[in-house]
Amino acid sequence: MSKFISKDELAFWLDGLMKDRQLIAPVIVDDQTVFKPIMNVDEIVFDYKNTVLSAKEWFFPTTEPLFTICHKDGSTDLAPIDIEKESVVFGIRPCDAAGLKLLDKVFLGEPPDFIYSQRRDKTTLIGLTCLEPAPQCFCGSMGTTPNNADDVDIMLTEVEDGYIVSTVTEKGKALLSDVKLSDSEKSWQEAKCPTELQVKEVPEAMKNCFEDNYWTRVSDRCIHCNICAYVCPVCHCFDIRDCPTSEETERIRCWDSCQSPGFTRAAGGHTPRPTKGSRLRQRFYHKLLYFPERFGDLQCTGCGRCVLSCPVNIDIREIIMDVPKLGAESGAKA
Amino acid sequence: MDENIITQIRDKAKDLLSSGAVECVIGYETSTDGTTSRPAFIYDSGDVERLVFNNTCTHNLAAYLSNKKEQKVAIIVKPCDARAVNVLLSERQIEREKVYIIGIVCQGVVPVKWSKVGEDLQMRCKLCDQHVPVIYDYLIGEPAEEPSPTVSPWTSVAEIESKSPADKTDYWEKQFSKCIRCYACRQVCMGCYCRECFAELLDPEWVGIRIDISENAMWNTIRAFHLSGRCIGCGECARVCPVNIPLGLLNMKMAKEVAERFEYRAGLSDEALAPLATFIKEENLGIGE
Repeated sequence: MSKFISKDELAFWLDGLMKDRQLIAPVIVDDQTVFKPIMNVDEIVFDYKNTVLSAKEWFFPTTEPLFTICHKDGSTDLAPIDIEKESVVFGIRPCDAAGLKLLDKVFLGEPPDFIYSQRRDKTTLIGLTCLEPAPQCFCGSMGTTPNNADDVDIMLTEVEDGYIVSTVTEKGKALLSDVKLSDSEKSWQEAKCPTELQVKEVPEAMKNCFEDNYWTRVSDRCIHCNICAYVCPVCHCFDIRDCPTSEETERIRCWDSCQSPGFTRAAGGHTPRPTKGSRLRQRFYHKLLYFPERFGDLQCTGCGRCVLSCPVNIDIREIIMDVPKLGAESGAKA
Repeated sequence: MDENIITQIRDKAKDLLSSGAVECVIGYETSTDGTTSRPAFIYDSGDVERLVFNNTCTHNLAAYLSNKKEQKVAIIVKPCDARAVNVLLSERQIEREKVYIIGIVCQGVVPVKWSKVGEDLQMRCKLCDQHVPVIYDYLIGEPAEEPSPTVSPWTSVAEIESKSPADKTDYWEKQFSKCIRCYACRQVCMGCYCRECFAELLDPEWVGIRIDISENAMWNTIRAFHLSGRCIGCGECARVCPVNIPLGLLNMKMAKEVAERFEYRAGLSDEALAPLATFIKEENLGIGE
């Protein structure tokens, strides 16, 4: 027996949540589905494939102030940023929730990132089961599934006239405390996301092909924009800069990407990764070797956004399939 | 897919590579969705079977020439891309003798996203008045008489031009607020070849790294000015934009202004420079006289 909420009850509940929380949900802006803070439940799109950007921007915004330095009367004050308002992210897909779990490994290690951890603490995740994966999706190969509820607080699955509700965490339970859920035996057709990509041996294979010309050849095609990193739910690199005005200086951090030529440029102008090939290689070595070495998981959840958005079809699935062959070739040569 | 065109492309590429005339052929191959195409770099004459050509070959490959200055390469160009090659030649970014141009008589391309192919031609192709490349070493396809244009080439900017200044501001603020500064528009553009882009200069800092409406508007506006009269209208900036900002509209408006004021259209020759990219010492500018 599962718990059920009707569509009307769901709308009523979400409307109530908005009174003292920010509600972030998928909406359509210029023909694209994006996560935005909403003012009205009617704006929500429930049957979207996936959003253009992942939900990571609500935990790790494109630009955010870290603190403000104020100079006044001969003294200097440092004002940290406090996140006060509680938020709810509604409609997050399992791949994006898995992305947050991976971001946690980076931002919540010792010492935890002050602002990220505040946002994480003050946000409840309401997941939505994927009923029909898109052609670019491959979460099934990356250790999650279209209905995986492990990384959200509450999971909803659309059935006839409403949603099956799974309460996953205490945080989720608290959010649902005023809601009367009914019992239901309604079922749904579980979606299957492709699982054929063989990822297990990839980190080991990556160790054998660092010097392979393959990376230069793939980078011929790469235009070295930042799209793949910015649409990725797990990429987390940033740049920091001080923005002074006459009274205060704000220290901000903004998204940045290893694909940009300036990313590794050091004082004096030296760039350790000066070529397109070395930058493209860095992206895949981080995802498929360095991250798993450090944190145990591949740095990819199979959301497929980079596959869909790359203007020149640099396809991580193709790289994952090619790498073991390169490793084998290098091994044979040795 | 026109098999005859593909056969000719493959044969020519094979000749060029096996004779050593070029080191690399830049063309198109089928992408991982099995339907659309993507840029291909062929170094070995045994790999020419990868090359394809069809109405999903929307990419302007000319931008890649700036990465291959040291090598002799062959490039497949549609007529719009051929104008881009001319811009690079006239601005002395590439050497003519290092580029072998394989021109394709083009029937137009369709809107393309990975795994999605539009049925109707792209608007720019519907308005195209040049189906044969202006520059090539080898031409593939049969040139036909150009149809006489029935609508203005500037049709796409008419709607935005008719808006009031306040409405235009609203429109572009809304568009630029979506910008995530991924710089895909710059990276894909043949005209954006600066070794150091103004967006990355720190001293002076023309545009901040903050991703917000003010800096985003600055970025997109300056880029449009830098491309004034240099943009050949390949539409790549708008195609690659992950958040659907109609950047082509901005560049098209600038192209129109340059065309009307200076009777100049980018890329028609490998000599002429864009009016706003030219400074002639002797020219009487009427300043300070």
